[in-house]
Amino acid sequence: MRLETRKLLDKAFSGLGIIAIGVMAMALLLILTPIVVRGSKAFVFKGTIEFRRMMLEQFDRGDPDKFNQEAASTAAARAPVYLMMEEFEAEMKAMKSSERREYKAAFKEVEKSIETLLGPIPGERKPVLLRQQYGQTRWERTLVKLHEALYSEEWDYSNADAMGLLVEKPRVEQFIGTKLEPMFPYLEEHISDMMLPKTTFYWRFITDKSKDSHIFGGIWPEVLGTLYLTLGAMIFAIPMGVIAAIYLCEYAKEGRVVSFLRICISTLAGVPSIVFGLFGLAFFLNTIHVSNSKSVLAGSLTLSLLILPTIIRSSEEAILAVPRAYKEAALGLGAGRWHTVMSVILPASLPGILTGIVISMGRAAGETAPIIFTAAVSVGAPLKIWETLSQPTPALPWNIYNLCTEHEAVDEIRHVQYGMVFTLVAIVLLLNLFAILMRARISKKLRG
Amino acid sequence: MSAKSNQSLIMSDAASRRHRMATLFGQSILFLITSLSTLTVFFIFYFILKDAIPFFKLEGFKEFFTSARWYPSGSPAEFGALPIFMGTGLVTLGAVVVAVPLGIAASVCLSDLLPFHIRQIVKPIIEILAAIPSVAYGFFALVVFAPMLQNHGGAILSAGTWMILGPIFALLVIVMGDLTIDKLRNKVKNPKLAGAIVFPILGILAFTFIYRLASHLSGVEISSGTNALNVAVILGIMALPTVVSVSEDALQAAGRELREGSYALGATRAETIIKTVIPASISGILAAVILGVMRAIGETMVVWMASGNAARLPDPWYNMLQPVRTLTATIAGDMGEADHVTGSSRFHVLFAMAFCLLAFSFIMNLASELIVKRSRKKLGK
Amino acid sequence: MTEEITMKKIDTFAEHGDDGATNETHIEAKDFSLFYGDFEAVRKVSMEIPKQKVTAMIGPSGCGKSTLLRSINRMNDLIPSTSATGEMIFDGHNIYNKNIDVVTLRARVGMVFQKPNVFPKSIFDNVAYGPRLQGTKNKQELSEIVEQSLRNAAIWDEVKDRLTANALGMSGGQQQRLCIARALAIKPEILLMDEPTSALDPKATAKIEDLIGELRNNYTIIIVTHNMQQAARVSDLTAFMYEGVLVEFGKTKQLFTNPDNPQTENYITGRFG
Repeated sequence: MRLETRKLLDKAFSGLGIIAIGVMAMALLLILTPIVVRGSKAFVFKGTIEFRRMMLEQFDRGDPDKFNQEAASTAAARAPVYLMMEEFEAEMKAMKSSERREYKAAFKEVEKSIETLLGPIPGERKPVLLRQQYGQTRWERTLVKLHEALYSEEWDYSNADAMGLLVEKPRVEQFIGTKLEPMFPYLEEHISDMMLPKTTFYWRFITDKSKDSHIFGGIWPEVLGTLYLTLGAMIFAIPMGVIAAIYLCEYAKEGRVVSFLRICISTLAGVPSIVFGLFGLAFFLNTIHVSNSKSVLAGSLTLSLLILPTIIRSSEEAILAVPRAYKEAALGLGAGRWHTVMSVILPASLPGILTGIVISMGRAAGETAPIIFTAAVSVGAPLKIWETLSQPTPALPWNIYNLCTEHEAVDEIRHVQYGMVFTLVAIVLLLNLFAILMRARISKKLRG
Repeated sequence: MSAKSNQSLIMSDAASRRHRMATLFGQSILFLITSLSTLTVFFIFYFILKDAIPFFKLEGFKEFFTSARWYPSGSPAEFGALPIFMGTGLVTLGAVVVAVPLGIAASVCLSDLLPFHIRQIVKPIIEILAAIPSVAYGFFALVVFAPMLQNHGGAILSAGTWMILGPIFALLVIVMGDLTIDKLRNKVKNPKLAGAIVFPILGILAFTFIYRLASHLSGVEISSGTNALNVAVILGIMALPTVVSVSEDALQAAGRELREGSYALGATRAETIIKTVIPASISGILAAVILGVMRAIGETMVVWMASGNAARLPDPWYNMLQPVRTLTATIAGDMGEADHVTGSSRFHVLFAMAFCLLAFSFIMNLASELIVKRSRKKLGK
Repeated sequence: MTEEITMKKIDTFAEHGDDGATNETHIEAKDFSLFYGDFEAVRKVSMEIPKQKVTAMIGPSGCGKSTLLRSINRMNDLIPSTSATGEMIFDGHNIYNKNIDVVTLRARVGMVFQKPNVFPKSIFDNVAYGPRLQGTKNKQELSEIVEQSLRNAAIWDEVKDRLTANALGMSGGQQQRLCIARALAIKPEILLMDEPTSALDPKATAKIEDLIGELRNNYTIIIVTHNMQQAARVSDLTAFMYEGVLVEFGKTKQLFTNPDNPQTENYITGRFG
């Protein structure tokens, strides 16, 4: 090959490598951006008067006087809407029955969409379901619902070859010439007076209980459940893992037994997480019955097995990184083996061991598959600490799955889903950041 | 001279025995804890197998492995898991296609191309990619990526084609063009002129090929965003960190002397890496690939949320745009319904699947261990 | 330059050569061999090391001198598949007997290593490590031991104001003297030094050598060194080893001026090694 070509190829090759790194960075950015941007909207968003009403009534938060003022002004802004609807109803009653039938169904739809938008119509009976007691609490949902109130959706199947086409028709067209006609432009123009959107900082999203399966409120039961599961897993995994690492590094004589144990550890590390879940079900729940139903205890035990290999390996690495000289010095001063481990080797390897522990904490917090059958439920109250021995719990990873696949109003609570993902990712990444910083400090120390 | 000098070196027999017993006792406890935590793996095998055997006793092997009809809740129930195995294979294959070339290129870049301080920035990217919980990836796949695929499927496919084939074809054009010129050298007087003719021709050919393929693909409509392609891409990204870090270790282990030897003979960096470093560390790279495969095959949440969960054979078999179902997702999804009827085939079939997963990952793991061990022996370390 | 100093020192070593110290044997090796697996690193060595003298061991790399030194407090136990034959007698017992308390042995035989290996703890905690092991808990008592040991190791003045500082912040020479102080704090009878100055610069080396000169009045010191001038400067007796065999062992002056064995002569005159 010619030299220029070889050089060109060399450059192209480097280019490929850099592209690969770039793609990786892009992927990270692509995945994290929506999670961070939309996730933070669970905490910071434009809340409407309905949000403040809900907070005041359900969580007893906010200034009642100020709220009453606002409520009065929105009620004034809404009054014409209700008035027009009343007038139209009266108008409808005066109509011939054939005509009335024509309007009735359409009006019912309008009435319903107004209720979804603004909350129950004043003077009517209070609905039982919490979600029907309030209008839209978030401004962006308000706009969506406003659109639904203004336009009706119809499917156009005129072209038999293609799939049905969605056509939006302004509802106002159905009511031309009636008393309801001016309501639609009024609604569109005065929506912000009716709802009074205000930037709201809702940090208690993390510490509030959820109301009406996550339609309102926060994610505290999930956060707490994740904390319990993670800490529980650490309680079992840390002593086992660190002791195993100490044994393997300091006591075991290299030989068949040890290489066998090592193969076991690497096999354990390769077991798919869902298999851990099945094992937890079959062993902890169905065989030794650590609890009668799914429980945090069973979940923690299962998770601890999952992270055990990580902890053993990272602890081993940290212990082996302790200079031999320390060990010799301690032994030379007449320390026994155990004492050498406890007084010199463990303190020196502690940062490394901690790094591994922190990383596996992140792993335990984020794992879903092992807790599906052993610990997680979709709805539940926050547990007291002793209840963890016998009760299942909601947990962030499981409820993210649950809310975005099985919830009855998936689209209504996107912000909660994003908020949960954001919280989980933030927890895990903070733990990892901590580990990365710690590792940087260790390597700095080792270098000089 | 010192108080210590009268401390006897000799322990009395009793003390010595006590000492030895204590040591033995302590060590046995340590050994016990260690083996308890490591032998868990046998517990897992035992308990999964225990609940898997009833299925094979009840239903036999043939249907499970060869039939394509998966109707576990029908009557009579049918347990043909072939589409599920196929789905798992297809998705894993796709993930490998994404993760392996990217991962190896990135690891080469990390170990040989980037200066130290940039590496310090890139490494956390890999760590963060590895740390993001799988359910977050699943959420992304379901809520962000699937609608994107569904609405702009064609555009994404053609952009992907450009991104993947563009660099590869550029390299191909350079190599082919150069070879052609070498061949022509004896016959043509002016090699520069030959270059000016050959390269544009090849370039235009390559461009047209990619262009036509991409415009063909841009016409494709994806009916469901939750499909094998979606999952394969996301799984590929998830497996990337494993592939990168393990193969980077392998490349680093090849050592500086090897590289210096090659440079000293006048090789370029690319030649050094391709001809000496990669062959020397090929077993480590292979182990990286195996670990990447294991990561993809064992992943549950992403496939459960975003694969569409349709237990039917893709048609044709490589069709990535159809929904598929995998072993892990079946276990996760069906257990909820099967749990109430513990004892039925429906319950045990899930353990049979788990056992297949477990056996596969065990074999893969052993294979990677062996490969690494053998390469170590070869390198004399 | 070093040559000059060396020659002067060699002239003076007789000063502390045969003074009135006892000639009592402190450690005795009888046909002692040590194996790494099948490899015999120390071959049937017999020697008597006298009390409160400085004994140097010299020889080319890999001659077994360090191995022999580490056999005296059984540090070789740490290396898998080592075994010993013959006897190493200390305090009337073969230390390779089964019911020897290795921990007590190592507390009575202190050791200083090639590279300073201070623990990543404070200076105080480094020195107090050994006494604490032996059950000294009283803070007052500990401070006394620490101060005394640091004084004995001639480093007290340099560190007395920063006893709580991390020991890793000290210079290499200071660290090595701290290691000596740490070894002295357990009040050993014998001090083993395995090339204690090989990682230090000449100035720090001189300080350590001065220190050895002071310590020789209270301790039996066995020092392995690569540096023949150092052996000549600091020791009363010198042992020359070659390929695991003890070739010659005698008074330092005698060995350096008039060796019995031609191999020794070749080595100390620099013809090999």
